[in-house]
Amino acid sequence: MIPVVVSLGQSNNPVKRELEEAVVTELGKLAAFDVVVIPNLYDLTAKSESMAALQQITGDLLVFSWLYQRSTHWLLDRNGIHGKLGEVLLQSDDEDDEEDSPPTDNDEADEVVRVIDQRPPSDRTIYCLDLRVTDTAADFVAEAKRIASELSDQNLDQWIQGEPSEEQQARYQQPQNDTALGPNGNKPNTVRIEEAAGRRWYPVIDFSRCTNCMECIDFCLFGVYGVDKAETILVEQPDNCRKGCPACSRVCPENAIVFPQHKTPAIAGAPAENAGFKIDLSLLFGQPDAAELAAQERDEQLVMAGRSPVEETPILARRQTEATAAQPDQLDELIDGLDTLDL
Amino acid sequence: MSEPLVFMMGEFAAEFPTDRQYARNHMWALDLSGRFRFGFSAYAVRLLQDVYFLDWTISAPAPLKERQEIGSIESKKAESSLYAAISGQLTEFNEKLLADPSAINTDKYGDGWLFEVTPAAAQLPLLTPAEYIEHLDGVWKITQQTIKGQLND
Repeated sequence: MIPVVVSLGQSNNPVKRELEEAVVTELGKLAAFDVVVIPNLYDLTAKSESMAALQQITGDLLVFSWLYQRSTHWLLDRNGIHGKLGEVLLQSDDEDDEEDSPPTDNDEADEVVRVIDQRPPSDRTIYCLDLRVTDTAADFVAEAKRIASELSDQNLDQWIQGEPSEEQQARYQQPQNDTALGPNGNKPNTVRIEEAAGRRWYPVIDFSRCTNCMECIDFCLFGVYGVDKAETILVEQPDNCRKGCPACSRVCPENAIVFPQHKTPAIAGAPAENAGFKIDLSLLFGQPDAAELAAQERDEQLVMAGRSPVEETPILARRQTEATAAQPDQLDELIDGLDTLDL
Repeated sequence: MSEPLVFMMGEFAAEFPTDRQYARNHMWALDLSGRFRFGFSAYAVRLLQDVYFLDWTISAPAPLKERQEIGSIESKKAESSLYAAISGQLTEFNEKLLADPSAINTDKYGDGWLFEVTPAAAQLPLLTPAEYIEHLDGVWKITQQTIKGQLND
């Protein structure tokens, strides 16, 4: 039985509520899944009943939420719910991908050490599904079934010697015995955890990108970041974070900081826009650059908090340009290659 | 008018007429006795390639502040917000471009002009053609990194 967590949205939008209920109901009927409904994942605190329930899950699981896959994954991670990032094939219509690109893909060999490389690898997989991807509950149910059968195929390979017969496979995937269905022959009920979850705002670190460079902890003047016993960066005081402020996400050289509820998709953890490969030239065409923007936003927050602004930190800007200048440059072909990028 | 200056963008020779000034954000600025006409330089057009859609978020006439966001553009290879290169009074947009922005590609220094501004100050943050080429030397690397960074995300 694969646990399926459905994290409800904050919005009372009836279309969204219907979609959630449809997904919960349909998956709840299937013996393959154990459905748990919780409040909005982002607003839950570490001590909440919902988090405790999630932390009990030791095997593979599915998590539905109203956040980008990457955001959900790392949100779970910061609450001690670790796992490999599961590949979800259900994507939104306007992501016109010609090929699947899993979020952690890097086109070139990654010589940089990321925080995640220093952790022992997890042996379970978490599949994060974004409820905004489609309006059709059936699509989500189909994808959940596909994932379940993929997982059971994997497990079957490990467990059964030789090839399982059709009958064995069917019995495994749709168990009908007492152990699976309970003494009344009914599936265990869907669990709904209801608890108060006040609105929160804090950064989530994507440790598959984070290199522990400490730019964020240097930059944030509100004490949100700290280091753990292993000298690794973490979001130590999330509730110190100034509501709505995304400044630190702009200074991270690896784009490893996510604000799951920010209105800008890139800051909220959206996958790269592969559709048509539109390059954003705004920086070249006069937009204030990330370091300037971050410093401005931080100053706004300082002033609102009754403190004095720092004004732009040249040190930060210099560090950033040094960092970019140090990158390798076999890039002349790239511009010429723009013509051949027929995507 | 002397020969246009040339800057190599990889294998592409981008040309810059010497009868006008340039802005750091890759627009040209032609002095029409007091008011300045702006358009995209060859550098910008090479990066954009075929322009599909141009949109202004303000209407003429309107006061402008340097670096104010005034619109957006979508092209075959790119999209971007657009920003004012100088402060002043925006007097006119090239209306023909709204229906058909292809003049940006076919005649970037002429019919593909974008808008006109009456400057607020005498000292303008504009560059001579030679200064602009120097500026391109500096930003070429960053441009490639911006593109590479986005492609590798």
